[in-house]
Amino acid sequence: MSNTAFSVLGLFDSSQQLMEAIPSVKAKVSARLNAYTPYPVHGIGKALGLRKSPVGGMVFVMGLIGALSAMAFELWTAGIDYPLVTAGKPYLSWQSFVPIMFEVTVLFACFTSGLGMLFLLNRLPFFRHPMLRSKSMPFVTRDKFALAVEAEGQALDVDAAAAALRAAGAQMIEVVEQPAPLAPVSPNFLMRVFSVIGISCLVAGCLTYWGVKLFPVTIPMVHMLDQPRLDPQQENSYFGDGFGMRMPVAGTVARIPLPYAVKSQNDASALGNPLPRTESVLKQGRQAYDTVCAVCHGLLANGEPSLTSAYGAKPANLVAEKIRNYSDGMIHFVIMNGKNAMPSYASDLTQDERWAVVHYLRALQRALNAKDTDIPKESRK
Amino acid sequence: MNERHATTTLSAGTAVGLAGVLATGFVAGWERFWINWIFWFLFVLTIGLGCLFIVALEHVVSARWSVPLRRVPERLSSLAILMAPALLLALLSLPVLYPWTRPEAHADPVIAGKAGWLNVPFFAARAVACVGLWAISYRILVSGSVRQDQERNPRFNVRVRRFAPVFLVIFGITITVVAFDWISSLEPAWYSDVFGVYIFAGTFLAGLAASTLAVLYLMAKGKLPGVQADHVYNLGGFLFAFTVFWAYIGFAQYLLMWYANMPEEVFWYKERLQGGWGLLVLALAVFHFFVPFLVLIPRIAKSEPKRLARIAVVVLLAHWLDLYWMVFPVLGQGPVFGWPELSFALFFIPGSLLWFRHMMSRGAAMPVGDPILREGLEFRL
Repeated sequence: MSNTAFSVLGLFDSSQQLMEAIPSVKAKVSARLNAYTPYPVHGIGKALGLRKSPVGGMVFVMGLIGALSAMAFELWTAGIDYPLVTAGKPYLSWQSFVPIMFEVTVLFACFTSGLGMLFLLNRLPFFRHPMLRSKSMPFVTRDKFALAVEAEGQALDVDAAAAALRAAGAQMIEVVEQPAPLAPVSPNFLMRVFSVIGISCLVAGCLTYWGVKLFPVTIPMVHMLDQPRLDPQQENSYFGDGFGMRMPVAGTVARIPLPYAVKSQNDASALGNPLPRTESVLKQGRQAYDTVCAVCHGLLANGEPSLTSAYGAKPANLVAEKIRNYSDGMIHFVIMNGKNAMPSYASDLTQDERWAVVHYLRALQRALNAKDTDIPKESRK
Repeated sequence: MNERHATTTLSAGTAVGLAGVLATGFVAGWERFWINWIFWFLFVLTIGLGCLFIVALEHVVSARWSVPLRRVPERLSSLAILMAPALLLALLSLPVLYPWTRPEAHADPVIAGKAGWLNVPFFAARAVACVGLWAISYRILVSGSVRQDQERNPRFNVRVRRFAPVFLVIFGITITVVAFDWISSLEPAWYSDVFGVYIFAGTFLAGLAASTLAVLYLMAKGKLPGVQADHVYNLGGFLFAFTVFWAYIGFAQYLLMWYANMPEEVFWYKERLQGGWGLLVLALAVFHFFVPFLVLIPRIAKSEPKRLARIAVVVLLAHWLDLYWMVFPVLGQGPVFGWPELSFALFFIPGSLLWFRHMMSRGAAMPVGDPILREGLEFRL
């Protein structure tokens, strides 16, 4: 009995001899048989009594899971989480789910068959297979056929196996030893591996950072920017005066937005807020503020947005005393004309929205500078 | 059942069927008669053409495994020749069934636009040309092979290998013509470019199923000595692959039309999804795809005679259902299956079986004169 043998190999000259040897060896030895041949031999799996491969079952189950998970994902996204009308079809159009279900099924099935075969069933990565050190392997890859009695982790009766193989006509017998277990990995080696990984990450990170910082931002695609259209102020030969933009017909009266006749800050201060301070106006102001203003001034208007400003200027703190002392008309004037680094937002907000923003800003200013008297009497302690 | 008994039964069936067929015309009306006529000749014709395609495919790719089985699709392909007179006779159905033959239909600009293709002289010329091309192809592919049984002339293999690719082109064009002319033009306003491919998928599948059934029957009778489960496995594999192909093409056609929602395309589906026809679509999905697909997944199912034979029957019935679902809705009512349909079935099915038995009895059941027959018999998976 040997505890170190991995298998006992017997070499044969032809596939026919190998096939004939299998039943006679099988009769004498109870251990599992395996064969190594230079090319596939028909019917050898059945003769050896190899187990049916579980790959088929695995692939089927994973394919099914792929189909069902694709369907569940599409049902959830298209029907529950973000229902969106596409091409006038109902939200839950099973027809449009099918191609994706099909692809995901194929994806899951392929990965399962490939990776499952390599990693689950063949136990890769596996660097020291005992057969790699067998002296018979070079012959097997040329013109010999090997029959192996395998230990399968148990003690193997080497002599009995060798005798059975020889009796079946094997010309050469080799006992393949179990390789010595791998030496444990040294701390030194681990240190080196982790240092290399760490340094690589650092270098890659720095390069990316400097790459993005130093190189000017280039527009990768200009499809929609480069259109055959007339931009404002562009020249145009179609009209006699050479202008692309046209003047309104004489006598045209602007209706919306109403004309804004204010020319200077002093004029502006005199303007009052035309909107009443109602809940719906405040709601409108809040929505407009959160959409347009909050990016720079912050949701609380304190000049501390979640996004740090990309260019040096710091957005104004709108709840500070200076702005609190502005008149409504002055705040409106700033929205219309901009101030310092801030551009005009006249085209982003309608007239009503601008005045609603002023109301909402007043509410924010009040909320962040609340006095004791603002709390209802009953709640005060 | 012995041979003579079977022949008597089949002949009796055909005779009763013939009486029913004639009665259909006089009692149930000529529209019912002609719709049944074109439906049944198409069913048998597609089986025959599918088999001729299988024969040509073997020569094109120089397949070895199918050589011992080749005589079966060769003999079955004579059904296409048998159906040639039926096809030419069906030209009489043009004024009854095909709306584009009526002058008032050309008020519709869509149909008027197709007048260059859909006119009686050109239609008849195409029908005659198709029949002629099939007859020539049959003479070269099949009659030559049968003659080789006696002559043992290996030059046949060279000649047929040169012709087979030409036949694939002929087949591709003629099967599309059959699809467009005999099925699609029943509703002349309809557009579908992929329809020819769809009919091809069904045709090939029907040919395969019929060949598989016949091979299994002859094997059970001991007429194909030396043919192993390995040969049959390939037929099962083909059957498996092309159920998926059929479903893929069928669904692709539907999906695109469903998405685009163009009136000249969707009306065809609308007619075929309403009322009882919707149930037929469900049956098609189940029996033309899911049942054969799921049953044929395990390896054993592709070579185990009983299971494979059952699935071949299912596929043939599904092909029958597929054609029925395409052709019969033009009657403008729900699915019908009365005594006229039954008598047509009685006439065409036992008639085709009689013809096949007669053809098989005219020579060897294997291409015994083919020099690569031995190689084919030695095929193992």
